Amino acid sequence: MVTNTSNGGASSLGLRKPRRFDPNDKRIIPGLLITPVQILLIVMLIFPFVLEFVISLTEWQPIYGDFWDAFNSVFTQKINQGISYNYLVTDEPRYLQALGRTVIMSVISLCLEFVIGLGLASLFLKKFWGKRVWFTALLTPMMIMPVVVGYTWFMLFQYNGPINQVFGWIAFSPVNFKWLNDATLAFIAVIVTEVWHWTPLFFLIMLSGLNAVPENPIRAATVLGASNFKIFWTIILPNMKAVIIIAFVIRGMEVVKLFDEIYLLTRGGPGTATETISLYLYKLAFEDFRLAYAGSAAFIVLIITVVLINMMLKPIRYQLVEGR
Amino acid sequence: MPRRPFRWYDAIGLLAGLVFALFPIFWMVSTSFKPTHEWAATPPAWIPSQATWANYAPLIVDFKDIYVFGHGASWQAMMHSFIVSGAATFIALVIGGMAAIGFSRYQAGGHTLAIAILSVRGIPTVVIAIPFLILFGWLGLRDTHVGLILAYVTFTTPFAFWMLKSFIDEIPAEIEEAAMMDGMSRWQAHFRVTVPLIKGGLIATALFIFILNWSEFLLAVVLTEKTVFTVPVNMQLYGGMAGIQAALATVAALPIVVMGLLIHKHLARGFTLGAVKR
Repeated sequence: MVTNTSNGGASSLGLRKPRRFDPNDKRIIPGLLITPVQILLIVMLIFPFVLEFVISLTEWQPIYGDFWDAFNSVFTQKINQGISYNYLVTDEPRYLQALGRTVIMSVISLCLEFVIGLGLASLFLKKFWGKRVWFTALLTPMMIMPVVVGYTWFMLFQYNGPINQVFGWIAFSPVNFKWLNDATLAFIAVIVTEVWHWTPLFFLIMLSGLNAVPENPIRAATVLGASNFKIFWTIILPNMKAVIIIAFVIRGMEVVKLFDEIYLLTRGGPGTATETISLYLYKLAFEDFRLAYAGSAAFIVLIITVVLINMMLKPIRYQLVEGR
Repeated sequence: MPRRPFRWYDAIGLLAGLVFALFPIFWMVSTSFKPTHEWAATPPAWIPSQATWANYAPLIVDFKDIYVFGHGASWQAMMHSFIVSGAATFIALVIGGMAAIGFSRYQAGGHTLAIAILSVRGIPTVVIAIPFLILFGWLGLRDTHVGLILAYVTFTTPFAFWMLKSFIDEIPAEIEEAAMMDGMSRWQAHFRVTVPLIKGGLIATALFIFILNWSEFLLAVVLTEKTVFTVPVNMQLYGGMAGIQAALATVAALPIVVMGLLIHKHLARGFTLGAVKR
């Protein structure tokens, strides 16, 4: 419910009115202010999605010529309606595998990022030399662009690259892991890259969460002789619940879009071992140019993500919208 | 939280984190100075034996080797990137900022609009790139600046809206009311009182969105061909030439890292859409 009680009564000039589009309210300003964004949403999002849905009902490909003929054929002749949808779900294991792989990859990398980020953040509660410099240094990976991250780790993961060399020093014999050519190792490589890139964000969010944990309960627990683990589990974690949920939801929304790094590291290979849903759709649409078919696959993904986002946003929705 | 002493195992953890975070960056910079025979040497060269600026040459002069790309020197890509990102950032700020004022002050559009804008962020880029390709081909916007700018605006307006909303929420509406008491109109109160008050936030948001636009790869690769090519697309043309790629990557990443460090206080707010303040 959109009710604003904080200064609703004090507002004599009608700013911060609790109700929007009140029938008695003739003011035009709120409407004007949000018109551009509404136009943008309709023209650049709703319309393309309608287009995508209609195209997905045809068998159109760019080589068939103008797509408006295909567009019309959906309404004039009842051809092929929903065939690609059927085919996708029943006869295309690659699609469902890509979906599943995306989920697994996301969950693993999110958990790793969370653990590493929380660990580093708890370090930064202490006092030590050069804290500000190390803090900035730890944040740097987050600001590198994804494409550059992909290139850099591509160089590092070469069979004669520095990572194998370091492993060779540890093992006292040359190792020859083919990081990007082995199904399991490529999967690990992608996760390492993703973790490297986005742990700093978790670190930042966790640090702000840790700083907000009240001191007194912890002091009291220490005096009463609670162990560190007990303090962490019963005081710190519950206090950070909101921040942790926000971090996971926001990062979860991002990580399922993972594309650039994998595209440059493995192109989904070897075979389809690291093919996420974004890569699968990309290959389908922009390498094979089966746009109609890719459209139906993309439309299913769209429905899933919109539903998922709204489910995930439930717990933090009020906090986000009201901003307090 | 009560402060605890810094122990030796904390130092080890910090060191491990720093090495993990900085080693790839070191490797990228180091590779960019390596002469050709050290790009993929076995065992790998950690530090170039003879540092050379040759890898940075394609930035300024047209790269002519076995491959002829016909794309010209890479500074053109930087220019294109700069134009597209700058324009898209500006438009997104205007559109998102207006909506943010409308929402923060009047709840215009309500939760539905706010959450709809937020959902744009979670939709995978490929999903929307497919209809964009068809639509832009039909409108003749493929491979033009305008087309790319439009696509970028669509994707960054949510960030502008949410980040600016969190800044505007911190400015009490009473200040605007006082300004209106003193004879300002509603528009003036919004744009001559509130907007100057969030100047710092506005700059942070602009830099944040600029970073996102500058880094964007997928839309650029799908929607452009020859005339407009951005930095990430341009880098891809030098496939297999690790040194040149590293040099370009260093040059492209440097301004972004500097910008990011300038606004690092606001990064958490930007990425979490204003839910985490600092």
